[in-house]
Amino acid sequence: MLARTALRSTRTFASAKNGAFKFAKRSASTQSSGAAAESPLRLNIAAAAATAVAAGSIAWYYHLYGSASAMTPAEEGLHASKYPWVHQQWFKTFDHQALRRGFQVYREVCASCHSLSRVPYRSLVGTILTVDEAKALAEENEYDTEPNDQGEIEKRPGKLSDYLPDPYKNDEAARFANNGALPPDLSLIVKARHGGCDYIFSLLTGYPDEPPAGATVGAGLNFNPYFPGTGIAMARVLYDGLVDYEDGTPASTSQMAKDVVEFLNWAAEPEMDDRKRMGMKVLVVTSVLFAMSVWVKRYKWAWLKSRKIVYDPPKESATRH
Amino acid sequence: MGFWDAVTEIIDAATPWATVEAEAPADIPAESAPAAESTEETTAETEAEEPAAAADEAEEEAEEEEEEDEDEIVDPKETLEEECRNSKECAPAKHHYDECVARVTGGTGAEGEDCVEEFFHLAHCATQCAAPKLWNVLK
Ligand code: HEC
Repeated sequence: MLARTALRSTRTFASAKNGAFKFAKRSASTQSSGAAAESPLRLNIAAAAATAVAAGSIAWYYHLYGSASAMTPAEEGLHASKYPWVHQQWFKTFDHQALRRGFQVYREVCASCHSLSRVPYRSLVGTILTVDEAKALAEENEYDTEPNDQGEIEKRPGKLSDYLPDPYKNDEAARFANNGALPPDLSLIVKARHGGCDYIFSLLTGYPDEPPAGATVGAGLNFNPYFPGTGIAMARVLYDGLVDYEDGTPASTSQMAKDVVEFLNWAAEPEMDDRKRMGMKVLVVTSVLFAMSVWVKRYKWAWLKSRKIVYDPPKESATRH
Repeated sequence: MGFWDAVTEIIDAATPWATVEAEAPADIPAESAPAAESTEETTAETEAEEPAAAADEAEEEAEEEEEEDEDEIVDPKETLEEECRNSKECAPAKHHYDECVARVTGGTGAEGEDCVEEFFHLAHCATQCAAPKLWNVLK
């Protein structure tokens, strides 16, 4: 089957080659008869006209739109520098102390605007909080019950299986509270943005004291070089000493940003630690199997590789012939 | 996670005397979650870490004293990037940016000119230069 398809493809290839060859031959023969019609002058006129049209289209665009400032760096946004995140290394896990700090930053700062709707309390257990802490946190919020006998829906305190509460009832309420801009859900934001952790860290810490000279910042927007278009509806939220870390880490702006970004990376990729461990196991097992297969191959081939073929010519003797 | 953690874990799992525990062993303090050990063990190498709630206050405080005072926190990112902006490495970018600012604020720039691009180049240079230093300082 394979041989047949291979054959067929060479045949079509060969015929295509023939066709091209014939075509080339024919055009070569027609050109000699029509060459007189294409005078160098006409060719030059065509080239000059095409150039004039190209230049004219630019001039027309400039006339219509003023300046040709498309695809400016500002539109693209400043690309974040790479930071040496430890948790992104192959054989490193999340720093769970940092996750704990990051969750604190999320809860005390970001949670008033951003939901984290894909994270249930139970997933915090053992990674960020202890069971009792997570239970206590869940109980601080109220959730709807199933309809009771009379079909009424009542409120009950949260349980571990509940998801973190949203700050707003719906997207419209969120937009209304934020000048028309919707604060995106942060559960998957690290995966959802080009540059991931580096981008979000840079975004949070990158607000300059004042925008560079001449930059225009829209009404209700803030200048941030990393946000595409540079005008972002979220103002700077992290300031030195904003939170009080329970482990006493100095809460500088960049420390909080680093922690919250690592936490958001965990939220987007909670399986990372296990995934890396599994990858490591796969490497270990496959390398052992490979080593074994090399030994087995050596063993199985030993008789063949170690045989000696000897040609022992018959003694010259007069009896032959 | 270290290489040997994976190896020892595989060996542990394969040994006939290994015990499998669905719940946390009884001698672990009640507050630490069943799922907590596996993840926490793996992080132990990164830093001196205790189960989340355990009080390792003393150790942290020692670390904290090396840094600035509690109430006067200076963001290391700001200082490092300021140093970088003034370093030789970023001198060309800073030169262009300063020149642009002078031009635009002085009114001698082109109509509608802004210094965003120059700002980008300078910021890129400064963050690039400060990034590894910053990670040495932050926890
Ligand atoms: C006062 C409300 C508010 C707070 C507090 C807040 N944000 Fe935002 N955030 C917004 C709004 C509004 C937007 C949408 C901005 C836009 O689209 O212009 C946004 C957008 C974002 C984005 C997306 C940027 C993009 O590329 O689209 C990220 C990431 C983000 N915020 C992270 C955070 C983090 C992390 C915190 C906590 C440290 C936080 N925010 C705190 C209001 C807030």
